[in-house]
Amino acid sequence: MQILRMKTELLPELVTALGAWGAVWAPVEQAPEVFTLERISDPTRARPDALRTILPFKKLLLEPSLVMLEGGRGAPPTVCGNGDRGRQVLLGAHPCDIHALRILDLLLLSDYADPYYRWNREQLTVIGYGCWPDDKCFCHSLDTSTSDSGFDLFLTPLAERTLVAVGTSRGDDIVRANAHLFEAATRQDTRDYLVRLRERRHAFQLELDIADLPFVLELKSEDPVWDEIGARCLCCGSCSMVCPTCSCFDVRDVLDPDGRARRVRTWDSCLHRDYAVVAGGHNFRADRADRVRNRYYHKQSAFVREFGMPSCVGCGRCIENCPTGINVVEVFQHVRGDA
Amino acid sequence: MRIPPPPPVHAGPRVAATDPNPFQPAPARIMRVLDLVPDIRLYDLRFEDPELAQRFAYRPGQFIELSVLGFGEAPFSLPSSPTRPGILQLGIRRAGTLTSYLFDHVKEGDTVGIRGPFGNGFPVERFRGHDLLLVGGGLGMVPLRGLLRFLIDLRHDYGRVILLYGSRSPDQMLFRDELESMGRRGDAEIKLSVDNTAGQPWSGEVGVVTELLDLVELDVARTFAVACGPPVFYKFMLAKLVDAGFGKDRIYLSLERRMECGIGKCGHCAVGYTFTCLHGPVFSYWDAINLPELIYT
Repeated sequence: MQILRMKTELLPELVTALGAWGAVWAPVEQAPEVFTLERISDPTRARPDALRTILPFKKLLLEPSLVMLEGGRGAPPTVCGNGDRGRQVLLGAHPCDIHALRILDLLLLSDYADPYYRWNREQLTVIGYGCWPDDKCFCHSLDTSTSDSGFDLFLTPLAERTLVAVGTSRGDDIVRANAHLFEAATRQDTRDYLVRLRERRHAFQLELDIADLPFVLELKSEDPVWDEIGARCLCCGSCSMVCPTCSCFDVRDVLDPDGRARRVRTWDSCLHRDYAVVAGGHNFRADRADRVRNRYYHKQSAFVREFGMPSCVGCGRCIENCPTGINVVEVFQHVRGDA
Repeated sequence: MRIPPPPPVHAGPRVAATDPNPFQPAPARIMRVLDLVPDIRLYDLRFEDPELAQRFAYRPGQFIELSVLGFGEAPFSLPSSPTRPGILQLGIRRAGTLTSYLFDHVKEGDTVGIRGPFGNGFPVERFRGHDLLLVGGGLGMVPLRGLLRFLIDLRHDYGRVILLYGSRSPDQMLFRDELESMGRRGDAEIKLSVDNTAGQPWSGEVGVVTELLDLVELDVARTFAVACGPPVFYKFMLAKLVDAGFGKDRIYLSLERRMECGIGKCGHCAVGYTFTCLHGPVFSYWDAINLPELIYT
């Protein structure tokens, strides 16, 4: 892998240059410490260092509400092209986001590949950014605190300069087209990077023990602990909306008064009450406790069985956004009987 | 007869037969509509693309997604057998928006959309050379009928084929004439029961379907059992089959869940560690026991 350095003051210039690879999306500070992922027109507003945006990058790949098919009433439907967002650049993908992207790829590009996701995924340029954990980050517990692939460029801030790792051929294109921004990394850069890595490792405050968690969950599947958590959960689905790997959706047909119809796919959450209702009205998960348990089991047990790793990347968004303060780390500590 | 092998879940990317875009339905024409019992109809369909109509192969127990744009989409199991290609059959009960629209407004000659086939289907390769005990309750007869016709069309590949089927009353019994004539011809051993005769003519048994099991002599060591029915049916039938000596890995069942996308993406049919649409809808009872909430809640 090619490693370069860039003077940090040149970042806005890089942001502008990235525009040649598509619409640039980066965190923007909307209120003190509140960031959202926005399309960047003023390069000085881009804050790739922001720890977490409210909604993750998944909104760039699958819009919250997406028309999949359209047509006249009763006529064979045709694919609607509105979901194609064109070329986009995601600036400020943290290692957890990059791992989440890989999880979405596993889910959506394996069997029966999702063409709506694929359009945007193939047109996405990923510019990673080295972050610094706060009290809600637990990615190191899930082995997603660093990434050595899955990005086109990865920027790690050091004092007054930024280390730039080139991950793909497209990343190399960006570097070559903007050669004046970059220079060869020095041995001092390497030393400083390693010091940063070591200090960052010690900066984590939150720990989630995932060793044999699927088995522990198996043991605790009928435990009253789920009723306790179910009693606290409002089943609002906020955690699913902000989760970078939650990609469940609901499909509904919309019929316009003029007879035109659309098949619309909307973000959904397994916590919503009617999520598992089948024809005839039977609800397989009518209790909140069942739905809460299902969500955690899916992340930490089902996905592990299916793909060999949990589908939680420890980004902390669900902790930050839960209106009743449910903390996923505390939930599992509680389930284990540690707290 | 060549049917597709059991689909591997992650050996290679699977692609829907109907279109490379798994969300895109292929137009199919309704060739015939038949009232089976009140509020359940049999639809015969044929893909408008003649090449697809011939190529479309499926396994007994797989399902398709049927849709009418503007009125929604839903999963349906197939009561037809892949041994008779060209025409697909669906057994549809009036239950929601889409099925009400089908019942009230869609006629023979109209076009609907079909995606699929999806799911795993019954392990008919594993069944080969064995006796088969099919037990069904209510609408569970729809997927069982596909399997039954498959077994009878390939009669020499299988041993005894026994069907035990119960419904509420004689006029609620699906495929009654066909099943009775199959029994008379000796294609399969057919035993039918109704919960009560409701004053209608009836020559079969009266009582719950589980009692039919007492009427047949079985060599459980060389028999596979396949059960399809509503949740309450499973509750009693599975216990009874285990009591009869069936290994839990030799009992198969087909499950209903909310399979919206059919392709393991939307998440609605997730149960335990698995998606009903990808790894099911057919599970062995052993798998079912190990999945929380799989059979009933």
